[in-house]
Amino acid sequence: MRPVYIVGAGMCKFGRSEISFSELMCLSSMVALEDANLGDVPVDGVVVANMGAARVNRQTAIASALVDQLCLYPATAEAVENGPASGASAFKVAVQAIASGMSDVMLVTGVEMMRAVNGLEGTDFVASLAHPEAEYIYGVTLPSLAGMFARLVMDRFGVERKHLAMVAIKNHDHAMMNPYAHIQQPITMEGILTAPEAVVNNPPIADPLHLFDCCPVSDGSASVILASQEAAERLGGVRVRVAGIGQATDTHAVHEREDPTDLKAVRIASQKAFTMAGLSQSDVDVVELHDAFTILEIAESEAAGFFERGKGHLALEQGETRLGGRLPINVSGGLKGRGHPVGATGVAQLVELTWQLRGDAGDRQVEDASVGFACNFGGFGNNVVASVLRREA
Amino acid sequence: MERSVCGATCEACGATSYPRHAVCPQCGGRKFTDLEIGGEATVLTYTDVYALAVDFETRYLRLAMVEFDSGLRATGQLLDDDPRIGKRVRTDVGVVRRPGDEKIEGLQFYPI
Repeated sequence: MRPVYIVGAGMCKFGRSEISFSELMCLSSMVALEDANLGDVPVDGVVVANMGAARVNRQTAIASALVDQLCLYPATAEAVENGPASGASAFKVAVQAIASGMSDVMLVTGVEMMRAVNGLEGTDFVASLAHPEAEYIYGVTLPSLAGMFARLVMDRFGVERKHLAMVAIKNHDHAMMNPYAHIQQPITMEGILTAPEAVVNNPPIADPLHLFDCCPVSDGSASVILASQEAAERLGGVRVRVAGIGQATDTHAVHEREDPTDLKAVRIASQKAFTMAGLSQSDVDVVELHDAFTILEIAESEAAGFFERGKGHLALEQGETRLGGRLPINVSGGLKGRGHPVGATGVAQLVELTWQLRGDAGDRQVEDASVGFACNFGGFGNNVVASVLRREA
Repeated sequence: MERSVCGATCEACGATSYPRHAVCPQCGGRKFTDLEIGGEATVLTYTDVYALAVDFETRYLRLAMVEFDSGLRATGQLLDDDPRIGKRVRTDVGVVRRPGDEKIEGLQFYPI
């Protein structure tokens, strides 16, 4: 396989979008293209990650639409729908295109405009990824799967609501340093858990998970430009190498897993990514995890191999996963703070890692970060893509 | 009207699964007999979900994953005012969702 480099990255501020779906796709794409400063180096292909445009925005064939907006013809174009893991899946497809020698420069854009519909429709659109006969018909939504998962993890491993609140507080604090984050609101343990008014501030969503355990519903787009070694050398600048990618799947119905608290696909995908990179967890300086729900940050930090099983919440409690700690997790704010435009999330994680590895992350910069890891968690853990990025001198 | 929810028993190796797959998870077999899901079970985990999908005109839904004595598990609606992990429940089949005029039946778990 040929080496692949990230030579450009960009995103828009996540939140509520007032522009059209096509304009939203273009926004991050144009920022990333400008960042890559391609000059006369042509873009060979475009891969767009998205989950719900056909249903929520009544728009299909969106990759062709993006090529048209950007006048990139005759570039190749395809869209990838892989649930909440669409972003990193699209990234993987583009990496493969370059690694195989079929392409030299690829644009990957993740986009979602899910606030175009009301909350009920939006929740239902995401719930449609659940098993149709064994889960969805019962009213299973993503928060409910996370709620059942959280109760079981808390029962078995001694995780308490205060630990979930610590994830939320940390990621809100981190998001305050990220101008692209949807949520810019500092929160306290008193305000969301211990004070009497916390019952009102932080109502249950899927018990034991409360409002501040759940990511917001966001619109947004994020993009990266990938290049072969030859193209990257022509462009110059700091090179971020795609060192490893791993992907794994698991059963569709969560109840069918031998141990429903074991995020097996996270474990396997992470191992594959580290093996491909020739690196291990101890080499990683900065981590982006898929904290659609606070419990997932803790569980993924263990399944990805950074902490022993049942010990992730203790590392969190010790401040190890905060900016300045031994292993900063979600310094971008994560899904909790940055927001979660479903198809854009996996790409946004890689944009954050690129900025971190280039030293461009401003107030939230992890000092001298040279290796980054991202976990993009699809379904409720039935399709996971893990990536390892490394800065090259 | 037939009121049952079925998993599958593989005709080749006898392995059971719920939900059904096109191929046996154990041996790759492709022929199955219906396996009715029901009887007594133990609550593995549950939640009260307030973030509801469409088709539900209620403030919240109580959902659970249960484990049958056979070891098979299922997800369904828990109709118990005092839920807890490890509690024994019995299974019934009833209306679990009403999209428009349609009635969809599925697993409901009750205290014993």
